[in-house]
Amino acid sequence: MRSSIESDRTDGAGSVAATKTQDRTGEESVTAPRRRKRGIIATTVGVFGELLITAGVVLGLFVAYSLWWTNVVADREAGKQGDAVRDRWAGGPGALDTKDGVGFLHVPAMKNGEVLVKKGTEGSILNKGVAGYYTDPVKSALPSDDKGNFTLAAHRDGHGAKFHNIDKIKKGDPIVFETKDSWYVYKTFAILPETSKYNVEVLDAVPKESGAEKPGRYITLTTCTPVYTSDYRYIVWGELDRVEKVDNQRTPPAELG
Amino acid sequence: MYGWIWRHLPGNAWVRAFISLILALAVVYALFEYVFPWAEPLLPFNDVTVDDAQGAHR
Repeated sequence: MRSSIESDRTDGAGSVAATKTQDRTGEESVTAPRRRKRGIIATTVGVFGELLITAGVVLGLFVAYSLWWTNVVADREAGKQGDAVRDRWAGGPGALDTKDGVGFLHVPAMKNGEVLVKKGTEGSILNKGVAGYYTDPVKSALPSDDKGNFTLAAHRDGHGAKFHNIDKIKKGDPIVFETKDSWYVYKTFAILPETSKYNVEVLDAVPKESGAEKPGRYITLTTCTPVYTSDYRYIVWGELDRVEKVDNQRTPPAELG
Repeated sequence: MYGWIWRHLPGNAWVRAFISLILALAVVYALFEYVFPWAEPLLPFNDVTVDDAQGAHR
């Protein structure tokens, strides 16, 4: 634009044209570095913009990873581990066997089939699409113990999301735990939809908050709530209703029919 | 940044597009396989256990 104006003006007298030329060369020596500087700014802004777009894409990928990919990996892993346990149990009922997991949790209300239960609630265990029983901060009892609280944790979202539908469990719903030789049928008697993540009393042998007052054979399911976050914990308590011996066909109890 | 990468890739537009795709896939793979599994425990989205205030074992 400027050059066209200048050329218009240089159409005038020769002397004017001469000074203009001088002017122009002088101007050019000023404009060139300025233009280069503007180029640097434009490039910087451009790279910054590209970095922002990249960050957005990476965050989107992280969401896909958390909510989809971890489930794919965990379900594959859980299936493999579950099959290994089933294979070892194929010989028929027998003594409690804790090698790869103590047994399977069946909660018809959650509509997610069976969940392998293993020892421990560290990320390295739960991330494989299983539920874990607590060893810390409060040590869990086992269902076969005379008295105590069998306390479990599993993921609400991602990594198999085994307790995703925990909010579908209602009071009175059965929670069935299957070991090599027994079906432990629990009945849900209390639900705590939201509690602090530091509320370790829910794991006590007699969890007072559930309304339980005397020692008994309890089961506690814990996971995070609300979904997709882990600000609070969701707790479901059940009490043992009865124990059925596993027969040779592994006929499930009526609750799982 | 991406323009610079594009200019430094060899071959014609099709070859460059193909190499770009491979590079993008490699980056996504590295993110899913190494970066996200590393980052996830550091982010407070997926803790499911009740814990002592110190969170000593996590």
